[in-house]
Amino acid sequence: MNRLRVGGVWSFILRRLLLGIVVLILVSVVVFLATQALPGDPARAILGRSATPASLAALRRQLHLDQPAIEQYWTWVTGLLRGNLGNSLAAQEPVTTLLGPRLVNSAVLVAIAAVVSIPLSIAIGSWAAFKREKAFDLVSSNLLLVLAALPEFVVALVLVIFLATTVFHVLPAISTVPPGSQPWNNWTALVLPTLTLVIAVAPYVARIMRASMIEVLESDYVEMARLKGLPERTVLLRHALPNALGPVFQVIALNLAYLAGGIIVVEYVFNYTGVGSAIREATFNHDLPVIQALAMLIAAVYVALNLLADVATILVTPRLRTRL
Amino acid sequence: MTEISRRQLVRGAGGLAVVGGLAAACGTSSSTGTSPAPGVSAGGPKRGGNFRLGVTGGGSKDIMDGQNIITKPDQARLITAFETLLLFDENYQLTTNGLAESVTQDNPKQYTISLRQGIEFQNGKTMTADDVIYSFQRIGTKAYGLTGYAATATMDIAGMKKLDKYTVRLPLKSPDATVPQTLGSYTFNMVPVGYKAYPSPQIGTGAYKLKSFAPGQQSVHERNPNYWRSGEPYFDTVTITDFSDSTAQVNGLLGGQIDAMTDLPPSQVKVVQGRAGVLISKTGGWLPICMAIDMPPFNDVRVRQAMRLLVDRPGMLEQVSSGYGFIGNDLYAPFDPGYAHALPQRQQDIGQAKSLLKAAGHANLSVDLHTTDGAAGMVETATVFANQASAAGVKINVINDPNFYGNQYLKLAFSVDFWGTRAYLNQVQQGSLPTSPYNETHWPPKSGTGSNFESLYSQALATTDPAKRIQIEQEMQQIEYNIGGYIIPFFGGLIDAYAAKVKGLKPSKGTLNLDSFGHGFRTIWFG
Repeated sequence: MNRLRVGGVWSFILRRLLLGIVVLILVSVVVFLATQALPGDPARAILGRSATPASLAALRRQLHLDQPAIEQYWTWVTGLLRGNLGNSLAAQEPVTTLLGPRLVNSAVLVAIAAVVSIPLSIAIGSWAAFKREKAFDLVSSNLLLVLAALPEFVVALVLVIFLATTVFHVLPAISTVPPGSQPWNNWTALVLPTLTLVIAVAPYVARIMRASMIEVLESDYVEMARLKGLPERTVLLRHALPNALGPVFQVIALNLAYLAGGIIVVEYVFNYTGVGSAIREATFNHDLPVIQALAMLIAAVYVALNLLADVATILVTPRLRTRL
Repeated sequence: MTEISRRQLVRGAGGLAVVGGLAAACGTSSSTGTSPAPGVSAGGPKRGGNFRLGVTGGGSKDIMDGQNIITKPDQARLITAFETLLLFDENYQLTTNGLAESVTQDNPKQYTISLRQGIEFQNGKTMTADDVIYSFQRIGTKAYGLTGYAATATMDIAGMKKLDKYTVRLPLKSPDATVPQTLGSYTFNMVPVGYKAYPSPQIGTGAYKLKSFAPGQQSVHERNPNYWRSGEPYFDTVTITDFSDSTAQVNGLLGGQIDAMTDLPPSQVKVVQGRAGVLISKTGGWLPICMAIDMPPFNDVRVRQAMRLLVDRPGMLEQVSSGYGFIGNDLYAPFDPGYAHALPQRQQDIGQAKSLLKAAGHANLSVDLHTTDGAAGMVETATVFANQASAAGVKINVINDPNFYGNQYLKLAFSVDFWGTRAYLNQVQQGSLPTSPYNETHWPPKSGTGSNFESLYSQALATTDPAKRIQIEQEMQQIEYNIGGYIIPFFGGLIDAYAAKVKGLKPSKGTLNLDSFGHGFRTIWFG
């Protein structure tokens, strides 16, 4: 019964994919309705003090505001599917051109943060569970609790004060990515934002890992493995860890999805040229096409990460795997 | 060089000349183009380096156009490459240190502009009368929507005439004595014939050539080796970076990633002082509380007077601007030579305000005050005023409306808006006439006292004798002081910060940050 039933898993993934698409369609309706709910005339709200009758009419045409709502929605959604996200009202260029490099920058930051924080927190959590109630466990648990309680911007500012502006001057305080260059061209500038994100995510993952591991270490099959005389290393890595990881994947997915939106604070503090600052600015400028594109993007990231987490959980949990 | 007021300047030239002859008044330095940067010490400025400036307030709306700005970084970028005919100095007095040797008013309806000879654009082309005419035509084309358009209303641009290679005649449709101020305003720049906004090549006469530009992110400007003021500028490159937040700016400055920043929050002054330079400039930006004089309850002059007596101006300055600035007297244009200094400073008088309100039948007045986060301090001004007014039993509901600049803007009875500094008549033209683009107070009154305001304005524009003009300006201010719709509690300042190695910055009364961005990044250097 331990064998993976391929068909079961694939049909599960397919089901979840379809469900994800349904969720995205619902999100698109909500995003669209939110646009419609802007008080008064959206074109007026967008142009503000500089509005002239001519520019209002032009913008209404550009946003298709002169068409019925259903038709507007259809134009927008079909555009989305073709990869046509419209033109940014503030920048007067395609949303894809505006967001493309920023997406890369933010993705790099999140990816590095994930690659560093996930193994690190799994290791810390597992080791703390293994050394339960010992010095390492006590210190790490309390420290992680403190870090988890701190908002990202506090963490970021403390890091800046400590490493960049006041105590030591070893790292740059800001991480602007100059246009035309890539984030990794200036890797020292990535250290502080990455560290902030790692500190934002790792405590949650490590704590759930510890709890999950403790539960598994007390289970009958681990007891059994030990009684059979298996080396402790094998018990931990082969029997305990895979079983303990299941719930952790869910928390990792949630935290990464959170990063997709929560990165805004970190980008703000470090003046990092990414999606976060684009969100802030688009909101400030009433730049609807950009806001809509970003809302859909973040929703898609959530759906995708949840799907991945569910699949990973099922793959590492025999009980769930065999039930498919 | 001593301070030269517009009045002295005109006197020096005599007769109808407005700014012609200034070169004589301040020695030959300006005409030879070899004047050292103001504040140059014995050690003298040094060449070289990459000056990195961090600016907030920009975004993907950023543009590069020699005659137009939308965001604050646009101001910094504009001034790297483009220059005006006349130049305001750091005391906000007009000088002929710009591209024109003189601007002479021949008669109330005609000016003659004489260009400094031998100035080249960054592509090596000599600047001539044709470029000046093209520049005026471009600004005067309504469809382009350039910053200076409103100020060209009195100019007969189609009738401009090239007298010789370096001389242009500018006829006016109606008399306008404020033309020299317009020619000195920082967006009224001279561009070569055929010039277009970015992404077309950016060719001006300025000290730096545009090398690269990504709106909302960063621009790089290279030293113009051919610059007409010899010796200047001192930096090899200038890099201007957009910041979304002042926290990152301050960190970047203290961490050494930028050399100067705009708009240091007042709360951060103490943090930065001692570790970097802080430049506090009393620039005269203002946040008026606007009462529409034809809408209830403010159509009763007693209510307006009462409101003006409710303000604790020093308290407002302290709370809104941390004391950086100076208190106002409900009159604008404090740096204009015609500013009515003689009018008594208005002070808080709750008792008097209460009795005025009672007489007007508004003893328990409750009114909505609209504003938005349009400029720093607007919402705070509204909130502090509401608090101060409560002492007289007046209930003010502050409405912070993100859609403030929508349909209802300029139709509100009671609002808080923002303005930069201008000369008096220029400000009247922008905000206090029936034809003004931004007349929040619906000034002037249509009948009775003050209804002659508009005719006084036309009279002032047509008066070429500055002493007489100032007399008329003061008469206009007297009316506004007595029955006007503005409450002007204080004039703010600009607070900027810079790394200790940056030399040559001085507090300035100009509109722009950082001593007009180090006079276009050419009077500052790394020590």
